[in-house]
Amino acid sequence: MIDINDFSITFGSGKNQIQAVKNFNLSVAEGESFGLVGESGSGKSTVLRAMVGIYSHWTGTIRIDGQPIAHKRTPASRKHMQMVFQDPYGSLHPRRTVDATLSEPLIIHGMDKREERVLKILGEVGLGPEYRFRYPHQLSGGQRQRVAIARALILEPRVILLDEPTSALDVSVQAEILNLLSALRKAHGLTYVMVSHDLAVVGHLCSRIAVMNRGVVVEEMSEDQMRTGDLKHEYTRQLWTASHGYDRKALAGFKEIA
Amino acid sequence: MNGSFNKEPLREEPMLSVRDLHVRFSTSKGLVHAVRGVSFDLGRERLGIVGESGSGKSQTGRALLRLTAGNGRIEAEKLMFSGMDLMHANARTMRNIRGSRISMIMQDPKYSLNPVLTVGAQIAESCRRHENIPRTEAKKRALSMLDTVHIREPEKVYSLYPHQVSGGMGQRIMIAMMLITNPDVMIADEPTSALDVTVQMQVLSLLDDMVRERGMGLVLISHDLQLVSSFCDRVLVMYGGRIMETLDAKRLDEAQHPYTRGLLNCLPRLDGRHDDLPVLERDPAWLAQPSDASGVFEQ
Ligand SMILES: Nc1ncnc2c1ncn2[C@@H]1O[C@H](COP(=O)(O)OP(=O)(O)O)[C@@H](O)[C@H]1O
Ligand SMILES: Nc1ncnc2c1ncn2[C@@H]1O[C@H](COP(=O)(O)OP(=O)(O)O)[C@@H](O)[C@H]1O
Ligand SMILES: [Mg+2]
Ligand SMILES: [Mg+2]
Repeated sequence: MIDINDFSITFGSGKNQIQAVKNFNLSVAEGESFGLVGESGSGKSTVLRAMVGIYSHWTGTIRIDGQPIAHKRTPASRKHMQMVFQDPYGSLHPRRTVDATLSEPLIIHGMDKREERVLKILGEVGLGPEYRFRYPHQLSGGQRQRVAIARALILEPRVILLDEPTSALDVSVQAEILNLLSALRKAHGLTYVMVSHDLAVVGHLCSRIAVMNRGVVVEEMSEDQMRTGDLKHEYTRQLWTASHGYDRKALAGFKEIA
Repeated sequence: MNGSFNKEPLREEPMLSVRDLHVRFSTSKGLVHAVRGVSFDLGRERLGIVGESGSGKSQTGRALLRLTAGNGRIEAEKLMFSGMDLMHANARTMRNIRGSRISMIMQDPKYSLNPVLTVGAQIAESCRRHENIPRTEAKKRALSMLDTVHIREPEKVYSLYPHQVSGGMGQRIMIAMMLITNPDVMIADEPTSALDVTVQMQVLSLLDDMVRERGMGLVLISHDLQLVSSFCDRVLVMYGGRIMETLDAKRLDEAQHPYTRGLLNCLPRLDGRHDDLPVLERDPAWLAQPSDASGVFEQ
């Protein structure tokens, strides 16, 4: 479903130039859930943002369903791939009702039966019709993230890119959103790419995980390796250890990874 | 006071003693009762306060330093810090205590650092406010403190402004600023939430060193029960402004309260499985029960 080959992207110029992602490869089958994990600044969001066309100055190839995507995306190509962002506060327009937020993509893409579609999608993300005319400030963080997921789903895309979708939420709300994402993937046969700095969160939703460090993938991790911690790269091992809580002894052996 | 102390927390002589603490805010929509009868003692130990957002963790921490916002009122049967009554201390005494004997690391470093001063100057100033030493000496200590908090090029970072450093570095700078005054008690409000796990662990180990080597008492506020119990000696679990349960951190698996159990169970685990996570069912009765007071030493 998704094939990325030799993807690289640079920001800035001269001595401020930074190569955010280097020679990145990714292959995700239809219906699969793939995770990208790594410390902040390692280039995870940049990969997703390039895929949905927010950045266009990259090199390499990105293929979705066999079709290479152009550096500037067309509305038609956008319809099949949607993104959910971390911040459920910032990503919704404060003065737009849930109904307006969900109808907008339908209007842009000239889709009919708008009311029916809005009510159906609200139901799917676990919000009743009573939420339809609410404003973001009348919703909790978890409800806002449900609206953001509904907005991504309403165009019936095949691929959803999730950028830290639960990082701003309480753990109990995070559990509800992770369950929802999992159910939606099964129900619609969706393909996910999920980005997070939290290995356990990615590991819960995804069966394969690429670990990024300073713009490159240092190791790919299977379900078995998540369980056993049998990992090759030093950074991956540190990440795995740190994800199991504070361990003073293990910490003494941590190295700065350059 | 800083004579000999054991590695084990000194339970018999609390540095900080809190009984029946209440914080109430008056707002246009009525009274918000944010903290409802919290009691605990703090020795030379690592005490965690855990709960979801809005449970009253930060307001408990701020009340200890009487840093409650203007629309708020603090009440307590007792609020004592090494023999001093914080409830009735005057503004000057409170100023002296804040930042030198009790330090607080706030949730967001960007708001706590002065944007127009270099980070080095701020750390040095914090040191000079606490101890009357020459500028050059303060600078030397600031540089060595930057090194202590694992900042790689202290000389270079010293002359940067807050907006020029990353979130993780900003948080370590805040910690350097707080540690340089060698406080008796440190209240750290989500000090590592913005950091990557590996950096998070390094910051915790710095705080750990302060407790072990200098006998500091640490209150670590966090929403991450798993992390806090792997680090702390004891954990207070808060919900709706109350303490639901006080835990011996090593016995997390023996937690009794359904809220604590719910918080633990809903966490995703690195077990390579993808079953649905149990969701937390809240019981209104939890809000009716009095705060758990088993966190106080004498009983
Ligand atoms: N629009 C941009 N302009 C300049 N630098 C950027 C931009 N977007 C990302 N970067 C840089 O690229 C690197 C990777 O960033 P990002 O993909 O956001 O990391 P992550 O999502 O893993 O935290 C960082 O060093 C970041 O500062
Ligand atoms: N200045 C204020 N005025 C009114 N309510 C406040 C004020 N400050 C905090 N609160 C309320 O107090 C409660 C507890 O807040 P807080 O201690 O910050 O929670 P936590 O740190 O556990 O997330 C919340 O409901 C919050 O909205
Ligand atoms: Mg990111
Ligand atoms: Mg708080």
